[in-house]
Amino acid sequence: MIELQEITRTYTPKDGPPVHALSQVSLAIARGELVAIVGSSGSGKSTLMNVLGLLDRPSQGSYRFDGEDVAGLSADQQAGWRNRRFGFVFQAFRLLPRATAIENVALPLLYSDREQIDGLAVAALASVGLEERRNHRATEMSGGQQQRVAIARALVTSPDVILADEPTGNLDAKSALEIMALLQRLHRTGRTIVIVTHDAAMAEHCQRVARIERGRIVADERIAKPRDAALALASSSTPAALEETA
Amino acid sequence: MRTSRFIGQSLRAMARYKMRSGFMMLGSFVGVAALVAVVSVGKGVERKVLKTVDQLFSASSVFVVSGGNMFASGSRGDGGRLTLDDIEAITAEVPGVEVWDPMQFQNDAQVHRGDANATVRLVGQSERAERVWVRQVVRGEFFDASEVAHSGRVALVGPAAARTLFGDDDPLGGEISIGGSPFRVVGILEAMGTDAHGIDRDNEVVVPISTMMRRVLNVDTIRAAKILVRDPSQVPVLAREATRILQERHAIAAGQPADFNIITPLDVQRLVAKSQRIIFVFLPLVAAVAMLAGAVVAASLMLLSVSERTAEIGLRRAVGARPRDISLQFLAEATLTTLCGGTAGILLGGMAAWVLGHRIGLESFFSWRAALLGMALAALTGLLAGVLPARRAAALAPAEALR
Repeated sequence: MIELQEITRTYTPKDGPPVHALSQVSLAIARGELVAIVGSSGSGKSTLMNVLGLLDRPSQGSYRFDGEDVAGLSADQQAGWRNRRFGFVFQAFRLLPRATAIENVALPLLYSDREQIDGLAVAALASVGLEERRNHRATEMSGGQQQRVAIARALVTSPDVILADEPTGNLDAKSALEIMALLQRLHRTGRTIVIVTHDAAMAEHCQRVARIERGRIVADERIAKPRDAALALASSSTPAALEETA
Repeated sequence: MRTSRFIGQSLRAMARYKMRSGFMMLGSFVGVAALVAVVSVGKGVERKVLKTVDQLFSASSVFVVSGGNMFASGSRGDGGRLTLDDIEAITAEVPGVEVWDPMQFQNDAQVHRGDANATVRLVGQSERAERVWVRQVVRGEFFDASEVAHSGRVALVGPAAARTLFGDDDPLGGEISIGGSPFRVVGILEAMGTDAHGIDRDNEVVVPISTMMRRVLNVDTIRAAKILVRDPSQVPVLAREATRILQERHAIAAGQPADFNIITPLDVQRLVAKSQRIIFVFLPLVAAVAMLAGAVVAASLMLLSVSERTAEIGLRRAVGARPRDISLQFLAEATLTTLCGGTAGILLGGMAAWVLGHRIGLESFFSWRAALLGMALAALTGLLAGVLPARRAAALAPAEALR
């Protein structure tokens, strides 16, 4: 579904030499995969995520989505693609703090050209188990709950791919496992999910782990038996066990 | 994006940022309120003035006023040398005069009846006043020529003066005391309310001009006279001739300041037009300046809002907003906010006009044109205030805004 070929992204600061955030990155992701892109801070993983989600344009290389060249689309066309094809989950949740859960979930529908949008936001919120908190503001919820609202927002337009940038980075161990379990559950229903993380333990919940260092993919391997977050959650009763599992 | 979803979300954003919205509304609120109040009151005043002008200055009338001061500030009578003979000379010499009436008055005159006191405007006029000034008596009769010839002690009372002096008693045939002399009430004047000068015309007592001059004031001058001509086209001739005759009689050389004023309907129209210019050009300009100041405040608040909400802009771009959606969002937020301010301003301005008009005795009047103009200005303010922030917001790259 996703084919990146020799993608390079170079930033040119006003003062100083050019920064190659991505160099010659080639990556193919098939429909229905659960992929982790793992790398340390500054490795280029967020830039890769931005390029994948059409939030940033590569300086060189080709990006095909379902066979279509998407890197060359206009800003308006890319906005439409983001709305229909991608759902984003961010480390810092990025909810509108003064808006309610349901308003946050419905945000992408504002920019959708669908005729019927009634009920979609409620259904998305229900799918993450937060239907009853629909009228609560983001500030009135725990970190884990906020991230579930953010995932519901990513799901509301039924996108092809969910791109999650450090989705568990701001959460405690238990909430992190809960989010991971939720993403695994979504994956089992057939969704394509790409998770960007610095946390190798989190990556072990994915089928496939691509490692990025200094803007290059240095390893890309399949995990025969990914860890089941829901199982870990159920079996962990003590905080110590939780830490271990996570 | 669909318009309904779009307006809905702009309104929600306004509600989420209450403080900012409040301050942004302030400019258009104050501006529109001022505009509506000023123009509505102005219209009320204009109607009142035009009504008074209609009553006083029919197209075929010429006023001769004593004193060299301008009519607008009222004749003070100090140094006035206008006499009945002057007016008689004019009316005898200039053809086409139909009728005329002299006038002398005293403001704050004390009138008694038993223990009851009234401070009234005491006016001396001739028996022709009824025709010349178009003010009838509603009960009783106007005094006649013989009362004027003999300086009769008869009086006509306005409804307010009558109430003060007579209470529930019938004033007709009753006796009142002016300057220690008894006067018989022969008529009740029709109610006129407050005129454009703020004089309560219902609190007047009218006596024969001769009585006023000899018995009350002991003067041989008059304050003013109103002359009616048969044909309105004769007005300029009469005005010119009256000026010449009075200059001669008062021995005023050409170029010297006159001790009288000749006022024609044209002069009054000019005066009314001048005051209208002040009300309808100058004051709305003040309101416009208030709105401009409001626009500057609104624009800076919107700009601040764009930098504050960079993350939100990034998020919206990520979930599918096009640059023009972002631009429209900020433009709509600014415009809807100033329009809300404008709507509140119309309500306050209308209320202020009503209260103010009520207090100074005007018919209540609401200027829809001012309200519409105010809303248009408020919308324009919003657009102006929103356009720069909107462009800045739309220009943000999504990945950068999300950083």
